[in-house]
Amino acid sequence: MAELKQINFTINEQKVAVPAGTLVIDAAKRMEMEVPSFCYYKGLSLQAACRMCLVEVEKMPKLQTACTLTATEGMIVRTDTPQVHDARKNMLEFLLSNHPLDCPVCDKGGECELQDMTFRYGLDHSRFNEEKLHYPEEKWSPLVYYDAPRCILCFRCVRVCDEGMDVKALGVGARGVQSVILPNTSGALNCEECGACIDICPVGALTSGTYRYQTRPWEMTYVSEPCTHCSNGCKTTLSVRNNEILRANNRDQSGINGEFLCGKGRFGFDFTNNAERIRQPLIRRDGKLSPATWEDAFEEIARRLKQVRDKSGAASIGVIGSNHTTNEENYLLNRFARLNLGTNNLDHHRTADYAGLATALGANTLPAQATMADIYAANNILVIGNDPSQQNPLVAWQIRTAIRHHNAKLFLINSQPTKLERQSSLTIRVPAGAEAAAVRWLARGEGNFPEEITGQLAKLKETLEQALDAVVLFGAAIAGQAIRDLFTFGSRLKASTRLMALGDYANSRGAADFGVFPDRLPGYAPLSDAGERDRFSKLWGGEIPAAAGMTAKQMMDAAGSGKLKALYVVGANPVKTFGAKKSDKLGSLDLLIVQDLFLTETAQRADVVLPAASSYEKDGTMTSTSGELQMTHRSIDPQGPRSDFDLIRILSYQLSQLGMGPAIRLRTPEAALDEIRQNIPGYRVSAANLMAGGAERTGAAPQSTENSYSVPEGAIFSSQDSLFSSGTLGRYCSRLNSCNEAKEKPWSSSPNIQSWWYR
Amino acid sequence: MSPAEQARPLQIPATLDAKFVQLIGRYPIKRSALIPMMMYAQDYYGFVGDDVLAEIARRLDLNMTQVTETLAYYSMLRRKPMGKYHIQVCTNVSCMLRGGNETLAHLRKRLSIGHKEITPSGTFSLEEVECMGACTGAPCVQVNYDYFEQLTPILVDELLEQLQTGMKTKPVACTTGSIHERHELEVPVISRRFGIENSRKIDVYRQHDGYKALEKAVREMTPEAIIDEVKKSNLRGRGGAGFPTGMKWSFVPKDSPKPKYILCNADESEPGTCKDRPLMEHDPHQLIEGITIAGRAIGSKQGYIYIRGEYRYVLDIVDAALAEAYAAGYLGKNILGSGFDFDLYTHTGAGAYECGEESALMESLEGKRGYPRIKPPFPAVVGLYGGPTVINNVESLSAVPSIILRGGEWYAGLGTPKNGGTRMLCISGHVNHPGIYEVPLGLNMKRAIEELGGGVRDGKKLKAVIPGGSSCPLLKADEIDIAMDYDSVAKAGSMLGSGGMVVIDEDTCMVDMARRIMHFYAHESCGWCIPCREGTAWLRKMLDRFHDGGGTSEDIPLIGELAQNMLGKTFCPLGDAAAMPTISIVKKWKNEFEDHLKGKCAYRPANDLLVLA
Repeated sequence: MAELKQINFTINEQKVAVPAGTLVIDAAKRMEMEVPSFCYYKGLSLQAACRMCLVEVEKMPKLQTACTLTATEGMIVRTDTPQVHDARKNMLEFLLSNHPLDCPVCDKGGECELQDMTFRYGLDHSRFNEEKLHYPEEKWSPLVYYDAPRCILCFRCVRVCDEGMDVKALGVGARGVQSVILPNTSGALNCEECGACIDICPVGALTSGTYRYQTRPWEMTYVSEPCTHCSNGCKTTLSVRNNEILRANNRDQSGINGEFLCGKGRFGFDFTNNAERIRQPLIRRDGKLSPATWEDAFEEIARRLKQVRDKSGAASIGVIGSNHTTNEENYLLNRFARLNLGTNNLDHHRTADYAGLATALGANTLPAQATMADIYAANNILVIGNDPSQQNPLVAWQIRTAIRHHNAKLFLINSQPTKLERQSSLTIRVPAGAEAAAVRWLARGEGNFPEEITGQLAKLKETLEQALDAVVLFGAAIAGQAIRDLFTFGSRLKASTRLMALGDYANSRGAADFGVFPDRLPGYAPLSDAGERDRFSKLWGGEIPAAAGMTAKQMMDAAGSGKLKALYVVGANPVKTFGAKKSDKLGSLDLLIVQDLFLTETAQRADVVLPAASSYEKDGTMTSTSGELQMTHRSIDPQGPRSDFDLIRILSYQLSQLGMGPAIRLRTPEAALDEIRQNIPGYRVSAANLMAGGAERTGAAPQSTENSYSVPEGAIFSSQDSLFSSGTLGRYCSRLNSCNEAKEKPWSSSPNIQSWWYR
Repeated sequence: MSPAEQARPLQIPATLDAKFVQLIGRYPIKRSALIPMMMYAQDYYGFVGDDVLAEIARRLDLNMTQVTETLAYYSMLRRKPMGKYHIQVCTNVSCMLRGGNETLAHLRKRLSIGHKEITPSGTFSLEEVECMGACTGAPCVQVNYDYFEQLTPILVDELLEQLQTGMKTKPVACTTGSIHERHELEVPVISRRFGIENSRKIDVYRQHDGYKALEKAVREMTPEAIIDEVKKSNLRGRGGAGFPTGMKWSFVPKDSPKPKYILCNADESEPGTCKDRPLMEHDPHQLIEGITIAGRAIGSKQGYIYIRGEYRYVLDIVDAALAEAYAAGYLGKNILGSGFDFDLYTHTGAGAYECGEESALMESLEGKRGYPRIKPPFPAVVGLYGGPTVINNVESLSAVPSIILRGGEWYAGLGTPKNGGTRMLCISGHVNHPGIYEVPLGLNMKRAIEELGGGVRDGKKLKAVIPGGSSCPLLKADEIDIAMDYDSVAKAGSMLGSGGMVVIDEDTCMVDMARRIMHFYAHESCGWCIPCREGTAWLRKMLDRFHDGGGTSEDIPLIGELAQNMLGKTFCPLGDAAAMPTISIVKKWKNEFEDHLKGKCAYRPANDLLVLA
């Protein structure tokens, strides 16, 4: 790209060079000179409405708004003159004329931009002696409240909803001083309930139904960590008081998501103190799950596991891991299954074929996989078999922003209508299940499609062949050979092509990267590779069985047929995931151990249930679907439940006492991370950046030359979560569920998407 | 499911349906038809209900937020029915000075209803409205779209009687004061066909030089030559800002990948101004010809005339004229065999002074709330639908045929240097002969008031003059011995503005004047920027209180200071327009403010103003 021309100009007598096209407000910010503003908001369209950023420009008779003023050669700007200060003071005086001066009881008190600016630039008294306008507060949804008198009409909410979210649920009513913000359906919102309008509001006009009037911002502590719901890895800052999470947002715009969060990230934290949370171990006695001590629970588990192993052999024990547990926990679980239980029957619900991606990319993994930032930077984005607006909200945000900020082109291959179609350059509708065939057509020209689709695919291929770059995102339908086809297609393009597999849950990628598989060790090392087995045997200090184990689905079937005698389920709900009807078969298990937050359909059938901590309640790391690694922290004490890390570690000790494998000596997640960083290819990352709250790119991929890989039948399928569902966990997010929209079908599959009001 | 979705699909009657189809066909982007569609739907149903709104949204591919928020902006559009006869009473300055408040009070008493209320039978409803462009016929009311001017309580009673009994009413046929004996000071150029029978008909127009300029322009002149001629004429924008028209046209890039547009600003609503209305009702073809020539000059193939919503009968006249022009080959494809294609349509506003601001007008024409746009880019580069756009006032464009026909130099010679030609002067208020006069630029203001307006009525002394619409700083009686051209009036500390001159006599309370002016700007502030939105509302409340005797000595400097704090800091000129008259009144008639501190208003008693909402 050609180097942008530099513009030399002067701010406050300091000479500065900025790229052509830079706004004075941004240039001043870069020089750490404050130019206050309400309506100017980076990334959103310009307004020049609040008039707070007025500055003096030499040779211009009137003050100019720095937010719309592009720096020009030789321009002389002053932001700190008496005239400018007066203007700010006057604007604040106007703003406060109808604004309630009840900061002590306002929900925004302490973090209000108007309060801060008045403190800094405003008058110390009011000259407004007239009656203030008043309107009653409105409840727009269980999550969003609007208090019109506080609204300063900066229109940030309207813009973020329209431009940022492409929801367009907010407008402006009336005009002049009576202007108010208007929700889309007569006094109420019908939208994605993302809550972006609340967080972007500089004052206390838009408040959160989950947080409002409960606390003051300075009474809370703030813990930043990746969201525990979908796989996108948005950083959410949890606001905690008295061991309770009161709010989640990301106002500091750190993280791979900037300030973006969807409703789950913003409001889906209340499962932590849901009344149905399991707080102590349960053991089935006389057919009923009854509270037990930790000691009893661990002893019961160890004793009965040994019984099963001695009687039926280690191959009759299975482990189903989680999409929510941390990398360290997955790493431990892997070791625990292979060494302590001696089984390779280890799997999880796979929602994307990360293993397929890793084997297809191999040594190219790091450069060839896309990050969230790559989506934003891309000029061409292809989405295959996924609805990011519902399933991967950050991905959708990145796509929308790329289109909005630099006219990126979007291409869709989907069997269902999706919201992103409104912005796509080309939408190719293929029959359900034919997504992989479409990829095969692109890569090899094979396959039979109706002429119309063939024409569209040819057009897409032609466009991408001319493209400067491309990011290809794909859902569960693209697996195994289809990913290899995609990679082949991508490598034949002129420009670099980056891929991203779109999975469903917070650490689906981590479960895969850390080998919660019957045939893969951490880092996708093939179990069949004796060298890799040897490497891990040495590292872990125990023998790894060689024969590949059963997949999750096979384990569920084997549990039914009696082949499997014991099943250890960590943070998963296979009864629900793999079909409720088949669940009756679990009855033939001798032992079912479940560790989870809630008494899930699976836990209800368990012999022993261990209460587990959520990712908001423990330390560790998680890997987003884009392979970006972030640290999660213990923001609150779960009071009762223990982290899966501790539970697995203690169980390994218990089993070691009975002669089943070595005890895990890694006492903390940090220690486990150290071991991971040293031993797992693709995870040799900077710990400093992680600890500072940053995201590190990872690229776990098999180092082995033995690269055969095929997708096990029926192993990979999406949970089809929407913006209002999040697997089993989502059922316990009561505030999110209280929204009307949560009761509707996901928009992607509802005819609403075609309807006129949601355009 | 949203309520709108639950609503049954609405059966739109055939006539309205045809109108909808016609409207949608006028624009390259469907949304542009939104405001006209809502207006015509309201004409049919009496209001814009949820079902109609949903149907319009469906036809335009819009969501409910978009249609609702657009509707909410425009004061003429309503979500609830009004009376069968919706009586709108103007109380803005020109009407106020001639009994607008009394008319309103009389109607309130007679109908026993207040602002925006309906009589129990549903026959009448009442609304206090802002200037309706009948200043020389003040006081006026509008019943639905019919104008009734020069009212007295007796005439109001007669009107009510007629309405009630279903008798035929007699609304004014044309703007009061637009047709009169020519005064020797007048130089009729653009108004020269006023008073000729059927002057709005194309045949009559053609008998009086009609479309000769267009023939000349398309057959003999290059676009550059047209622009040069207009430059030579020293024609300056008659909408109020006085920007040289020829220069404005020359800013339009010759090569543009996007279509270029020519817009006629017929959103006349500057209080005191009523000249575009007669120009369109008496001589619509002159305007059409002017616009078409302008289109030829800038290389545009498409124009719109944005006419304020209150001027519906005028819009119908222009529509009829457009149909004639199309039929005669002056519009449409291959005009006069020259290969030049040009389409021109009317577009109705829906009640918003702000839409007279050029960029707000474009937003409104695109079917949105009438918020002004950030400049630069200026309309000549990025205007309507993002294309280069020239936007001119009705009066400016009406002058174009004469300039082309008789030459720019001839036109320039009518006025003073740098202030070419003639302009329409609307004299209203306390004069003996309110009326609309075409005078050369540079005419002495005092002479205009005394000779054209016939002096202050009832032998009263002159106190103040609003030289060109209520946005201008007011002049004192001893400041008006000046030439009325853009530069001389500016030198005197005011503006020539839009030609709406309001004459104020010695009995008038200037605090009341400041208060009424601020009511207007507070009502019309779009709400986009803080200083105008909050400043006008604050000043309105403050001036109300002050006039009612609740003022303090601190208020007097504060009124001036708040206005000063708005001045030059607002997004568009509306804030300045509110600030300038206020600053001038507080400065020049400070004594009257001080008098109010002593007790009741000592000047002509005024009726209470309603809080316009």
